[in-house]
Amino acid sequence: MAEKVEKWYAGEPRGKISYGRMILYILTTLGVISALIRLFFGLGSPITNLSDAYPWGLWISFDVLTGVALAGGGFTMSAIIYVFNLKKFEPLLRPAKISAFLGYLMFIFGLFFDLGLPWRIWHPLIMWNPHSVLFEVAWCVMLYTTVLAIDVIIMALERFQIEGPVRFLRSIYVIFIVAGIILSTLHQSSLGALYLLLPEKMSELWATKAIGPLFFASAVIGGLSVVTLESLISAWAYNRKPEMSILSELAKFLGVALLVYFAMKVTDLYARRVTFFALDWQHLLLYVELFGTVFLPALLLTFREVRASVTGLYWCAGLAAFGVALNRFNVSLTSYGGYREFSYFPSAIEFFITIGLIAGGVLLFDFLTQNLPVYQEELIGHAESTS
Amino acid sequence: MSKGMLIDTTRCIGCRACQTACKSWNNLPGVKTTFSETWSNPRYLSAADFTRIIFREDVHADGTVGWHFIKRQCMHCNDPACVSACPVGALQKLDSGPVVYDDSKCIGCRYCMMACPFQIPKFQWDSAVPYIRKCTFCADRQAVGLEPACSTTCPTGALLFGDRDKLLAEALNRIRQFPARYHNEVYGEKIAGGTAKLYLTAHSFEVLGLNHRGFRTDLGDTPQGVYGREWMGKVPLVALGVGGLTLGLYALNRRRAEVAAAEAEARHQEKEV
Repeated sequence: MAEKVEKWYAGEPRGKISYGRMILYILTTLGVISALIRLFFGLGSPITNLSDAYPWGLWISFDVLTGVALAGGGFTMSAIIYVFNLKKFEPLLRPAKISAFLGYLMFIFGLFFDLGLPWRIWHPLIMWNPHSVLFEVAWCVMLYTTVLAIDVIIMALERFQIEGPVRFLRSIYVIFIVAGIILSTLHQSSLGALYLLLPEKMSELWATKAIGPLFFASAVIGGLSVVTLESLISAWAYNRKPEMSILSELAKFLGVALLVYFAMKVTDLYARRVTFFALDWQHLLLYVELFGTVFLPALLLTFREVRASVTGLYWCAGLAAFGVALNRFNVSLTSYGGYREFSYFPSAIEFFITIGLIAGGVLLFDFLTQNLPVYQEELIGHAESTS
Repeated sequence: MSKGMLIDTTRCIGCRACQTACKSWNNLPGVKTTFSETWSNPRYLSAADFTRIIFREDVHADGTVGWHFIKRQCMHCNDPACVSACPVGALQKLDSGPVVYDDSKCIGCRYCMMACPFQIPKFQWDSAVPYIRKCTFCADRQAVGLEPACSTTCPTGALLFGDRDKLLAEALNRIRQFPARYHNEVYGEKIAGGTAKLYLTAHSFEVLGLNHRGFRTDLGDTPQGVYGREWMGKVPLVALGVGGLTLGLYALNRRRAEVAAAEAEARHQEKEV
């Protein structure tokens, strides 16, 4: 029944990534220092290379757009398991939720430092503009991060064997499932809809009315590929066997999602009659995005051998995740450069903050998975609590 | 009645008194400038420069040089993209015409800068507590019955302040009366849903080479905020649809599991009996 509470034992202490951990601590520290510099000295040159011509840069393209798309694993896995009733994927659910939660935390921190007046980040709570797509994104992200936080809190309560609140939260858990899926559908697509207002500033290759659905579809790809990568990498880092039987099965979904997305992209480009064949760098970026990171992994995933091999999955999920990132950069940065006499390349501090966020996120992931009941073989009762 | 401003660029002599008056009224700091290949100064609008005159040289067939002086500032759109974009409603279109900005609401997200089809909102990049800055159409002066600083100071009548409707009629009238003097279009009449600032020019902005420098001619007549508002209109439906579907499937799965469990239980009991 739904009110089941997981038992947990800590498992063996983990080693192996302590060198890596050292590097991550250094990168996180650099990020924190850079963030403080940015807070005290503002956003102007030489802190960032943002300008009136490029108001949005690396932080929006990566921390916000890419980060949220790649953190789509939480709602994707939740939908697969609870809505499409594919319970065999349950071992992937908790890690996916942890990484989604951290993804959104990183996004919020990234946005915090990108805002000119970050201490007002709460303003959308009481100052409403229901006409603004960004207003909706702000609300959805706040609410969805809360939903993800509740999932993490449930794991923490289980860890400390405080069973009463867990039973209560589990009894109303369907609310969180449904809310999580609604909120994700809305803000994943709305992040694309932000760009509905500025078609004249973008290359026609990416400026489309269909950008909302396209962002949603690619967020599903982002979610599935990151869940796969995250599972493979943590298996390697924690000396575990990757759960290949489940991952190969999930790879079918990834393949289908890629094919659907490929069809959507091609239909969109065809329907808008854009010049598809040309030899400039924007077209090259489109070819890489469309064929290298959508069609190629979709094709590879049709082979059973690829789906069954760790290397094959690394490549396919890696290409697909990279493709989602490339798409977000193309929409928000590279397609933007076409008609301006200005150029933009992120400053060192912009890079340090973004890299620091990633490093901090990995460290937190390490900490949480080590201290919370996340991995199935550590759960004494097994099977995630559901219907 | 919504106010507007008719900018008859053929009457402008490029004295830049409007730039000075604007700086003066809005108490804007001086900006260090450098020589460049153009007479325009400053080179770009910024948080400290709400308006500027763009100087365009035009070599005639007989070898003589003509000049065009084009004033640039916030267009004060009838239906501004920035107002639709702003998540906290810091930007508002007043019924009297001006598009104004509220310092106390802004979070500094800069979506207005991205959304504005005329690239008008500028950011105080050098400040640790930065705000958006742009021409206010002297909303503060208008509120006490004064004209904007720029049109007050204009010595040639190139800047006319008044009711937008009347100014538009005047502009169309001028084109009708002097077809040789004017390009046959009032920029701002319809573009992006129409703007409070109405331009009369000798040539189209493409010919002047300014269509990618703040005077886009390919925007169409639909205000771009509409696209965002259309999207927001669908949000409740999508939320309900996705929610209903999710809940329905979840309930179905749950019921199936219950039935399966009950059947298994029944079989189990049969065996025991």
